[in-house]
Amino acid sequence: MTATGPDGLRAVPIYTAFVPLSTIDELESALAGADYLPDRGLATALFLSLKLEKPVLLEGEAGVGKTEAAKALARVLGARLIRLQCYEGLDVAHAVYEWNYSRQLLHIRAAQEGTVSEEELFGPEFLIRRPLLEAVESPEQVVLLIDEIDRADEEFEAFLLEVLSDFQITIPEIGTISAAAHKPAVVLTSNRTRELHDALKRRCLYHWIGHPSLEREIDIVKVRVPGVPERLAAQAAAFVRGLRRLDLAKPPGVAETIDWVRALTALGRQELDAEVVEQTLGSVLKYHEDLLAVRDVALQELVDEARAAR
Amino acid sequence: MADAVVRHVVTFGRVLREAGLEVGPGRLGDALTGLDNVDLTRQDDVYWTLRQTLVARHEDIDAFDRAFRAWFLRAPTAPLRRDAAGETVRLVRRGAGDQRPPDDRGGEGDEKALGYSPDELLRDKDFATLSSDEFGLVSKLMVELAASRPRRRSRRLRRDSRGRQLDMRRLVRASLATGGDAVERSARDRIRVPRKLVVICDVSGSMEAYSRALVLFLHALVGSGRGVEAFAFGTRLTRLTADLRGRDPERALAEAAARVVDWSGGTRIGASLKAFNDEWGRRALTRGAVVLIVSDGWEREDASLVGTEMARLARQAYAVVWVNPLKGHPDYQPLAAGMRAALPSIDRFLAGHNLASLEELAQILSGIERRHAA
Repeated sequence: MTATGPDGLRAVPIYTAFVPLSTIDELESALAGADYLPDRGLATALFLSLKLEKPVLLEGEAGVGKTEAAKALARVLGARLIRLQCYEGLDVAHAVYEWNYSRQLLHIRAAQEGTVSEEELFGPEFLIRRPLLEAVESPEQVVLLIDEIDRADEEFEAFLLEVLSDFQITIPEIGTISAAAHKPAVVLTSNRTRELHDALKRRCLYHWIGHPSLEREIDIVKVRVPGVPERLAAQAAAFVRGLRRLDLAKPPGVAETIDWVRALTALGRQELDAEVVEQTLGSVLKYHEDLLAVRDVALQELVDEARAAR
Repeated sequence: MADAVVRHVVTFGRVLREAGLEVGPGRLGDALTGLDNVDLTRQDDVYWTLRQTLVARHEDIDAFDRAFRAWFLRAPTAPLRRDAAGETVRLVRRGAGDQRPPDDRGGEGDEKALGYSPDELLRDKDFATLSSDEFGLVSKLMVELAASRPRRRSRRLRRDSRGRQLDMRRLVRASLATGGDAVERSARDRIRVPRKLVVICDVSGSMEAYSRALVLFLHALVGSGRGVEAFAFGTRLTRLTADLRGRDPERALAEAAARVVDWSGGTRIGASLKAFNDEWGRRALTRGAVVLIVSDGWEREDASLVGTEMARLARQAYAVVWVNPLKGHPDYQPLAAGMRAALPSIDRFLAGHNLASLEELAQILSGIERRHAA
C-alpha cells in the first residue's frame, strides 16, 4: 500500500481577484461589495486586524452579525473561511487533529507482519486535519473563524493562546508545523457567557458590536433581501428598533430583522399592518413571554409608529 | 510617527490606567502601530483605533469614552458615535405559569462526615451572635466546606481502565506488535468536573448580621476553583467574582455594599434578579449551573416580579437553592411576600444561619440532582 496524499480535504478554490485594502474606506466599500455593511467601528477593527496581523475578538448580542463579519472578510480577501465552532468539551481531537484509526488498523492488517513501522503509521497520510491544523497548514491565505470561544473550556482557551501567539502546532509523532507564507486572519467571537482570560484578550484587538442605526439597518435589509419593497424595509427596521426599546428577554438582532423581512417579502407584503405582524412575529421574537408581552401590550402602537416613520 | 502623538498616547494610557483599565506596553504599542495606519484627521477612526487596541472588556468602554472625551476632545460632550440608549419601556408580563410544588426535602441523603469536628456549640451558634475569635475559627472551617462542589461529567476524556470508550491511539500502537489484532484494549472515560455555581447574595441592611459570615463562605467558594461566579445585591446588582478572588473578603463586602445598597432604599430582589437575568442569564451564565440565592426575601417593591424572575431563572438553571438565615429560627414561616413568590421556583430551601446549616448546604451542593430527574 502506498501513501496517497492528504485525504481530499484540501480542495481549495483559488481566487486571484486583488482588492486594494490600504485604507479603512477601501475595506468598507469592499465589504459592502460582498453584501456586508459594517459600521465604521467594525470596519476599523477588521482593517487593523489585517494590518497588525492580530486576531480580532468580536463581542455583542446574538444576531448582530459577528459570524457574518468573518464570512464577509473571507469573501473580500478571496480567502477560504475555516470555521471552528466551540462547545463545552471541545478538545484537540476535534479542533486540531486526530489519527485515522480505522485506516491505521486496516493498513497494519494489509501489510505483512513486521513491515509496518511506527513512523509510517503515524505519518501525515493517516492524519485527519481539523480546523486549526488546516488553517495553520494552508499555503493560501485563509480566514480562521473561532466561533463562540466562551463556550469552550478554559483548558482549551489556554491551548488556543499558544496557537494564536506563534501559529505553530506540535504533533508529537510528526513534529512542529508552522504557518507557511500567510498567517491566517483570525476572527474570534464571544457571547460573553464568561470572561475570557486576560492573556487571550491581550493577543486580540477588541470590538463590541452594537445594534446598527436605523438607516444602516434599512440598508442592510435591502442588501440582504433583494427585491424588498423600500417601504417594507423601512417599516420593518423601525418596528424592530421599537422592539429593542422594550423590556424584552431577548431583543431581536439584525439577523432576526432579515429573517422577518424575508418572510414578509415571501408573503408578498408591501408594508406592515397589525395582522401580518401578529402572524409573523415568531420570526422576530424567540421567547414565549416576549411574544405574549408584545402581542398584548405594544403591538398596535409599534406598528403605528413604524408606519408613521415612512 | 510624530513624537507629539507618541507622548499624547502614552499619557492617555496613564489616564486609562488611573480609570482602572489594564493598559500595558503591548497594548500601547498596538495603539501606536494602529494609528500609523489610519487617517489621524478623522476623529472617529482615531477613536476606534484607540478603543479597539486599548480596551479589552465591554465594561470598560464607558470609562474609555469618558477618558477619551476629557483627553482628546477636552470638553464634556456627548459620547462619540454610540447609539442613543433610549428610555426603556416596561411591559406588564404575564405570569410564567410554571407552578411547581415547593420542594423541601432538604437534608436527606447519606450523612457523610466532613473532615473536621468543631465544637457542637460553635456549629449551632447563630452567626449573628459570634464573637470575633469564634468568627475566625468559623471562617477557617468554611474553606473546607467550600471544597465540596457539585460535579458534572465533562466531555473531556482521561485514561480509565473501567471507562466506556476505547483509547484508539493506544490500541493502534499495541496492534502493531500483533499484526492488527487488538489484544489489549485501553479505555478512557469522561472526567468529572465541578458544576458551575452562581451565588447571588443579598447584602442589604436586613441581612447585615449574616452577610459578613456568608461573604466569607462565598470567598472560600470562589477560591475553591474556577467556575464560581458571585453577585451581590441590595437596591442594585453588582458582580463580585473579581473582588472575591484573592482579596480581603471583608473589604470586598464593604465595597460591594457601598455600591449596591442605598441606605434609605431597602431591598429590590425582583429588580436585582431581573438585572441578573437580563445581563447574565441571557448570556447563558446560568445554563446548567447550580444557582444559590442568599436572602431573607424581604422585597420592598412588587413581589410578583420576584416570582416572574425566579421562574425565568429556574428554567435556565440546573437547580436553584435558596438560603434564608431566618429559616433557622424555630418558628419561622415564609411570610415575606418576596419569599412566598419565590418558593415555587426553588429546589431546596435552607437556613444557612450557622455552621451546621452551611454543612448541610455543602452536602446538598455536592450531591444535588436536577429537580425533574427523580
